[in-house]
Amino acid sequence: MIEIKNVSKNFPGKNKAINELNLTIPDGKIVGFLGPNGAGKSTTIKMMTGILPIDKGSITLNGYNIEKNALEAKKIFGYVPDQPDMFLRLKGIEYLNFIGDIFEIPKEIRQERIETLTKQFNIYNALDDYIQTYSHGMRQKIIVTGVLIHDPDIWILDEPLTGLDPKSAYMLKEMMREHADKGNTVFFSSHGLEVVEQLCDEVAIINKGELIFHGNKQEIREQFQSDQSLEELFLELTSDE
Amino acid sequence: MSKTWVVMKTMLKMQYSKAGKSNSQIWLYVIAGLFFVPLLFFYIGIINNLVEALYNVLQPLGQDSLILGLLFLGIHMLLFLISFITVLSAFYFAEDIESFIPFPLHSYQVLLGKAANPFLYLYLTASAVFLPAFFFYGAISGANILYYLYGIIMFVLLPIIPFTIAAILLMLVMRFVNIAKNKDRSKVIAGIFSLAFIILINVLVRLNTNSGDLINNLAVFVQEKDGLLRMITSYYPPAFFSTMGLTEASSFSGFLFLLAVIVISAAAFFLFIWLGQLLYLKGVLGIGAGNKRKSSQKKIKKQIAARPVWLSYMLKELRIIFRTPTFFMQCVVQSLFGPVFLLIILMLDSGDLTGFMNMFSKKESMLILFIATSVLVGSNAASISSISREGKSWPANLFLPLDPKQIFFSKIAAAWSLNLIVIALVLAICVFLFQLPMDMILIWLILILITSWLSSILGTYLDLLQPKLNWTDEQEVFKTRFIGLIALIIQVGIFGVLVLILWNIDAIQGLYTSSFVLFIVIVIATFVMSKLLSKKIKQNEHQHI
Repeated sequence: MIEIKNVSKNFPGKNKAINELNLTIPDGKIVGFLGPNGAGKSTTIKMMTGILPIDKGSITLNGYNIEKNALEAKKIFGYVPDQPDMFLRLKGIEYLNFIGDIFEIPKEIRQERIETLTKQFNIYNALDDYIQTYSHGMRQKIIVTGVLIHDPDIWILDEPLTGLDPKSAYMLKEMMREHADKGNTVFFSSHGLEVVEQLCDEVAIINKGELIFHGNKQEIREQFQSDQSLEELFLELTSDE
Repeated sequence: MSKTWVVMKTMLKMQYSKAGKSNSQIWLYVIAGLFFVPLLFFYIGIINNLVEALYNVLQPLGQDSLILGLLFLGIHMLLFLISFITVLSAFYFAEDIESFIPFPLHSYQVLLGKAANPFLYLYLTASAVFLPAFFFYGAISGANILYYLYGIIMFVLLPIIPFTIAAILLMLVMRFVNIAKNKDRSKVIAGIFSLAFIILINVLVRLNTNSGDLINNLAVFVQEKDGLLRMITSYYPPAFFSTMGLTEASSFSGFLFLLAVIVISAAAFFLFIWLGQLLYLKGVLGIGAGNKRKSSQKKIKKQIAARPVWLSYMLKELRIIFRTPTFFMQCVVQSLFGPVFLLIILMLDSGDLTGFMNMFSKKESMLILFIATSVLVGSNAASISSISREGKSWPANLFLPLDPKQIFFSKIAAAWSLNLIVIALVLAICVFLFQLPMDMILIWLILILITSWLSSILGTYLDLLQPKLNWTDEQEVFKTRFIGLIALIIQVGIFGVLVLILWNIDAIQGLYTSSFVLFIVIVIATFVMSKLLSKKIKQNEHQHI
C-alpha cells in the first residue's frame, strides 16, 4: 500500500508543483495516474521513489517512510522511469547483473528470471549488446526486466507502455494484472486513456498539482452522472474553465 | 553563410548553456578569479622581464627578430597541440553532431559550427601567450603604429594555420579509422594515436637537434641580420613571414610579408573547408553506433555472477569510463599523457637517469617525488566528474536501494583505482630509471596511495557541490568547468606549502622523520575530507542535485 499524506512540493520561482496531495493506493489494485502535461504526475512519482525530496507531508510504502526509512522502502518497490535512457554504456546483461547485485538476488534465481523474462520480452539475443544500441522499446523492456527480476511488492511505473510493441505491451499488462491479483500494488501513470480504461481498478486524476478525482470507474460516472467516455470526462475535469 | 552563422551560434549556446547552473556556482568562479589575479600580474611581469632581457642581448647583434620568431613558433606549436585535442573532442567525440546531420546543411557548415568552440579556446590561449609579449616587444623596440596594426591582423589570423594542420591530420586519420566496426573503440584508438603522434613529433625534433651541429650553425647564422630567425623558422615559413611582417612593419617589405601571411591563412582556411567537405561527414557518420551480434546462451550464463554491491558499483563506474571515449580520454589517457611525455623527454635528454636523484638528499628526493606525483594524481579527471558523469542516469542512484555512503565509496574507489595506473608508471620509473632505494620507494608508495585516496575524495566532494548533470554531450562534464583546476590548486597548494616547509626546516632531517610528518598530515587531511563528505551526504545533498 502506498500512502501519500499532505504532500506539497515547490520549485524555486514557480507555482506550487504539488499542493497538499492526499492519496492512498491500496493493495491488490491497479491504480492509473492521469493528468495533463505538467500537472505534477512525474513530480509525485519522483517523490514517491526518493528522487526528489518532499517539502511537506509524508509518503509511506508498505509502512516504510520513503525519507526516514529510505533503504527499506526502496527495497520493496520497483520503478520504471519515463526515460529509459540509463546506463547506456553497459551491456543489457551487465545492467541486469548490476540490479541483481543491488537487490542481492541469488545467482540461480537471477539466472532463471533473466532468461525467462528476456525471452518473453524477446530481448534475450540482445543481452550481450550495449544498451546504447537498443531501440527505445528495447530500452524500456530491459528496465522493466530489471524491475521484475527482484520481484518487488510495489510497482511504480511512469509511462511504462510507451514505445513497447503490441505483444510486449499486452504481456506487461497481463503481468500487471497478475501482480495486483496476488495482493500487490501497481501504480502507473499514462497518457493512454484507453489503457487506463481497460486495465485500472482505480483512477487518480491530478491537475495543476492538486488531486481532482480518485475513485473507480463506476464512481467517476456516478459523480458526474454521465455515460461519457473516460476521455471526455478527463477533458472536462482538466479543462481550464 | 547565414546558415553557418546560425549553426555556430547554436553550437556555442549548447556548450555554454546556463541550463542547470545555479547562482551559487558564481562563488567557484570568484575563487578561481582570486587565485588568478596575482598569478596574472606575476605572469605579465615575467614576460616583460624576459622580453626586455632578450632584447638587450640580441638587439646589438641585429638578432632581435629572434624574439618574435620564437614567439610565433611557440604560439603556433601551442595552438597546434590545443587544436589537436579540441578538434578531436569537438569534431569526433562530441555526439551532438547527430542532431545536425538530418538538417539540410553542407558538411562545411556543420564543420565551421563545430570549429567555433575550439577557436574560442585558441583565441583565449593566443591572447594570453601572444599579446603580452607582442606589446612588450613593440614598446621596447619603439615600434610604430603599423607594427600594432599588422600585429592585430596577425593575431586574428593566428589560430587558422595550426588549427588547419591539426584538423586535416585528424580528418584523414578518422576517415580511415572510422571504417572499423566498433565506433567507440575506433574513437579511442584514434585519440591515443593522435597523442602518440604528438610525442613522436617531439621525439623526432629532439633527435634531429644535434648539439654539435647546432653550435656550428649558430656561429654562421649569427653573422647576418635576422640569421637566427631564419635558422629557427627554416622549417616553418608562416612563423618567418609573420615575424618579418612585424619587424619590417615600417617598410613596404613588411606589408608584403603581411600579405603573405594573409594569403597562406586564407589558403589554409579554404583547404580546411574543401577537405572538410570531402572527408568530415564520411568520418563521423555512424559514430555512436555499435555492432550487434547474436548473444550465445552460454556466454550470457557465464556473465551472470553475484558480486558485493560496492564491487558491482565500482565495476559499473570503470566500465562506463573505459567505454565512453570522452571519459576514457579525460580520465585515463590524459592523466597518462603527462608522465609518458615527461619520461620520453627525460630519457632523450639525459639518457641515463640512474643517479639523477643522487643530486639531492634522501629527504629532498622524497619531497620532490611526492609533490610531483601528487600533482599527477591530483589532476586526474575521474574524481572531479564522479557525479557529473552520471548525467541522466543519476536518478537511478536515488530510487535504487543504495546507501548513499556506498555510492560515494564506490565512486571514490573507482577514481582511486584509475590513479593506480599512473602510480604504477611512476613506480616503474623510480625502480628502473632512477633506481631509487627500496625503503624510499616503499615509503613513497604508502604516501601516494593515501594521497590518491584523499584527492579522490576531494574531487568527488567538489563535484557534489556543483555537479553538472544536465549535459547532452559528455564533453560538457569537463569543459567550461574550473573544478579540476580548483581541486588541483587546493591539493597542490596545501602539499606544496607543506613540502616547502619540510624542505627548509633543518630540525626535520632524514627520510623517515620527514616522511612521517607528511604521513600524519595526509592522514589528517584525508580524515577531515571524509568527514566533510559524510556531512554533505547526511544532509541529503545528493538528493537536491
